[in-house]
Amino acid sequence: MRKLFEYRRLIFIASLICLMAAGIFGFYEYRQKPNRGLPYHDSFAIGKAEEWKALGGTWELLNGSMRNDSDERGAKLLTGSAQWQNYSIEADVMLLGEGGNAGLILRSSDEEEGVDAYTGYYAGLRNLDNSLVLGRAGHGWMEVAKPFFADHSQVLTSKWYHLKLMAYGCQLVAAASILPEGSRTSITVNDVDCVQSGRAGLRSYASGGVWRNVVIRQATQLDGAEMLGQDQAQDERSSPYQAANTESQSSFHAPQVGYLPQTRPSNPDTQPISSLKLFPITRPQSATIRGIVVLTSPALFVQDSTGGILLKQSSGEPVRVGDEIEATGMVRPGTFSATLEHASVRALWGGTPMPALAVTASQAATGAFDATFIEVEGHLRHKEYGPDDNLIFDFDSGSQSFRAMMKRGRGDYLYNHLKLDSRLQIRGVAVVDSAYTQDLTPFTLLVRSTDDIVELAGPPWYSAPHLVGMAIGFLLLALLANFVYHRVDHWRLRAIVEEREHLAFEMHDTLAQGFAGIGFQLEAIRTGVPEELLRMHQQIDLASDLVRHSHAEARRTVDMLRPRQLESEGLLSALALCARRLVAGGSVAVVSRSAGEVRPIPLRMSDNLYRIGQEALANAVRHARPTTLSIILEYKKNWVRLLVGDDGAGFVEREELGGFGVLGMRKRATSISATLDISSVLGKGTQVSVTAPLPPRLTFISWPRHLFKFLREHFSNATAADPPHPHPYRG
Amino acid sequence: MVNVNQRQFWVTRLRTSLRLLCFADLALLLVAGCQRHSPVAIAVIPRTCGTIMWEPEHSGAQATALKLGARIYWNAPTREDDVEGQIALVERVSSKNYQGIVLAPDQARSLITPILRAMQRGLSIVVIGSPLPVPAGERLSYVLNDEEAGGRIAGQRIATILHGTGSVAILGIDSDITGIMTRARSVEQFLVTNYPRIRIIKRTGSFNVPHEQQVAEETLKANPDLDAVVTLTSTSTFGALSALGNVRSGRQIRIVAFDPDSLNFENPHLDSEVLEDTQKMGVEAVRVVVAKIHGQKEPLITQCEPLLVTRENVHSAEVRQLTSMDWRPEHLRRTWGAAP
Repeated sequence: MRKLFEYRRLIFIASLICLMAAGIFGFYEYRQKPNRGLPYHDSFAIGKAEEWKALGGTWELLNGSMRNDSDERGAKLLTGSAQWQNYSIEADVMLLGEGGNAGLILRSSDEEEGVDAYTGYYAGLRNLDNSLVLGRAGHGWMEVAKPFFADHSQVLTSKWYHLKLMAYGCQLVAAASILPEGSRTSITVNDVDCVQSGRAGLRSYASGGVWRNVVIRQATQLDGAEMLGQDQAQDERSSPYQAANTESQSSFHAPQVGYLPQTRPSNPDTQPISSLKLFPITRPQSATIRGIVVLTSPALFVQDSTGGILLKQSSGEPVRVGDEIEATGMVRPGTFSATLEHASVRALWGGTPMPALAVTASQAATGAFDATFIEVEGHLRHKEYGPDDNLIFDFDSGSQSFRAMMKRGRGDYLYNHLKLDSRLQIRGVAVVDSAYTQDLTPFTLLVRSTDDIVELAGPPWYSAPHLVGMAIGFLLLALLANFVYHRVDHWRLRAIVEEREHLAFEMHDTLAQGFAGIGFQLEAIRTGVPEELLRMHQQIDLASDLVRHSHAEARRTVDMLRPRQLESEGLLSALALCARRLVAGGSVAVVSRSAGEVRPIPLRMSDNLYRIGQEALANAVRHARPTTLSIILEYKKNWVRLLVGDDGAGFVEREELGGFGVLGMRKRATSISATLDISSVLGKGTQVSVTAPLPPRLTFISWPRHLFKFLREHFSNATAADPPHPHPYRG
Repeated sequence: MVNVNQRQFWVTRLRTSLRLLCFADLALLLVAGCQRHSPVAIAVIPRTCGTIMWEPEHSGAQATALKLGARIYWNAPTREDDVEGQIALVERVSSKNYQGIVLAPDQARSLITPILRAMQRGLSIVVIGSPLPVPAGERLSYVLNDEEAGGRIAGQRIATILHGTGSVAILGIDSDITGIMTRARSVEQFLVTNYPRIRIIKRTGSFNVPHEQQVAEETLKANPDLDAVVTLTSTSTFGALSALGNVRSGRQIRIVAFDPDSLNFENPHLDSEVLEDTQKMGVEAVRVVVAKIHGQKEPLITQCEPLLVTRENVHSAEVRQLTSMDWRPEHLRRTWGAAP
């Protein structure tokens, strides 16, 4: 039964390991699939973009499109799987500014913030030289380019184009056309040492851009031919551009045609923004200011080196964050800042973002930075969805509290990502108007995009879920360690038992045979010695007795070293067999029985109990001349007791029970934390009792309960229920 | 007694469990510590990248690294005034497996602490372009633009076009970059010493374009007899050119520009440009880092002389070599061209 229990446990553990391995392998294979998640279509129209990750730029969802207002060089927005290999990405693209480009990324990896800080391919429309460009980035940039228009017309801002980029094997094809249904231009390159796989994305360089209808599909060899084939119907100037163009290889020096941003003459009579709050309130006055746009939504804010102002624009062109503008309107002074109403706005130039001014919450709470683009830190205490599709965050910073508001931006990505009690750095325009603060906080930050909120530190690690997780982790580790220890201990004991078996066989083959031989020789000598030599006969008799005794002892030692019957038949049966062997040929009866529910006894414990029982039986046979030997094995919940008794001569009990056998029995009992009792009545018999604690039955469910019980008893010095000891003698 | 046995049981179990855990940890550490031999890795961080000033450094560094069996990591902030971005980049590469850093600092003082921390981690540092106020030493070397020579070159050019007399404004004096201050002083010193009849007007600057235009406009209005302008940065060049387009002075004011964004001489006001030899700096910097890693002694400070580019020599082989943006590895040249 013991073996059956062991086998079942081994099979269960092996099955568990196989299942886990199969699960891990299956999950890994699924993640490595080159087309996992394809085809893909964006959800910008319904305001969702959680699967996109930004590196640089100020990305937000607006009117069903993804928009980057920033003029940052190399702003990227990425999605997809690093395992995607042969696929195409296409989208409608619009450039927002001059002197840059916007387009699509394919097979991207190793991405970071930086101009060309990724490894992969990019195709875009560039209005610097009005070209379609296809290139490879590897923390550096290489490209091939082709005029987008055959007649070298301009690539225009605020106009929609359709762009498609495809990779199949090492063939790359980029194609662009004007929407709707305009003429198409394409480029193809065979990149010999190509990048094999990577994510897809959107990218802009210095111009910002807007993207919509992003579709990513698995590509086939026919897709490239189809993208190129539509061009073949047109004239040769629109034909696909082939790489390895020797002309492009030689022209690697600085360009002759550089880009100088367009600027406009400005009004010399502009006034510092901070001076407008001192304008008379009774007599409306007009004023002209010049500054940099720091926020366009939900309101237009402009800032110069003296402060910021809210503009209520009535006429003029649309502007972006970072534009230098001039505005003329009617001044309405406020307490901390002014408002320019009915403002006519004129953009002077772009690409001059205003850096945020780092202040403390206490400083901002004074109102001194009203309508100014600032950066402040705080701990996130509350988050919620507000009216008009806004996100509202409440912060604490020391003795101050403040609020931040922003559009949902790239969907719920930020809202789900930010954890309460984390420390954040927030950039935005500070406003003290009660329309935003609700008079609940001293100021509110109007945040431009999700990229203006940076997590400095997560919530403290010592939260309830973390502590519970750690406790469970330690528990599982301890379970595993205990299991491993138990197995190793078991193997060690088995090795010892097998070694003993080996010794027993050796002794049987040498000593026992030797003694038998000596005995025969002595018999032969006795036969040859004359009867008159009485003394010699006595000596031979004595020698024969010694040989017989030594042979019997050797046989007993061999039996003691061979516990096979212990494993194969159990402790009780093994002891009963031992007793029968000892009394073989005589009239002594052997009685054995067990009481209680049989439980598996650890190998070391059963081995020691067997030795003690064996010694007790040998002592009984040797000294007591019994008629009956009894062997009883009692099983209880937490202990097991072996009782070996006889009805022989008994002895007078005294305090010190010496003798080598008894010392050995006591030593064995101590080694398994057992108690040894030897009780005897002269003329009535002797009883040897060994009580040993059984280890608790540990399972995955019962382990914590047993550990808790032990710890409780240990610290409260409580004692478990002990079976009564009828005799005073203790081993 | 049963209690004692239970305690022994649990103590034995816990002790053995701890031993097993420690053994497993040690084994993991040993495995993690085993590393294959890898080439020298150097992070090259210019002020920004993708410009004709800094991409030549990329080509020089890349070519030298290939020759010496090293590999480089190239990245920079997207704007030259993004000091925080450059600091974050330096800190990031310091904590990774790089043996050296080649840095062109965006701001002299702000980069002191990140560089010192990188040196404490055992990295060899070479600062190029403009120095930090940290003395060179065992782990820190400089490969600098010879600002003194650049100032003399610009001063001589001004003297030539003004024929020794007139007035000149020096715009874009930015104390963020030590080298800019040095070149401004060098121009002034040269003119005062050699051409005392040339009057000098000085104005501070930044990397902010509108601010530079505003400063230039004010300078032009305040000095209607101005003959020439020396612009010390690319933004002050742009600001001055924009201001000259707005202010109709009727005079042919000539500009001598440092660190230009392009070699475009279409604007009639632009006379000449003083270019840093960033390609040579990239070559020298990588060579010095690799030599230091291999324990060789190298000069602590190396100076690279800039070059004056005019309409006459802009198409020369020397200028084309100096402004080469071709960093491409050999095996990719057949397929790809360099950026425009």
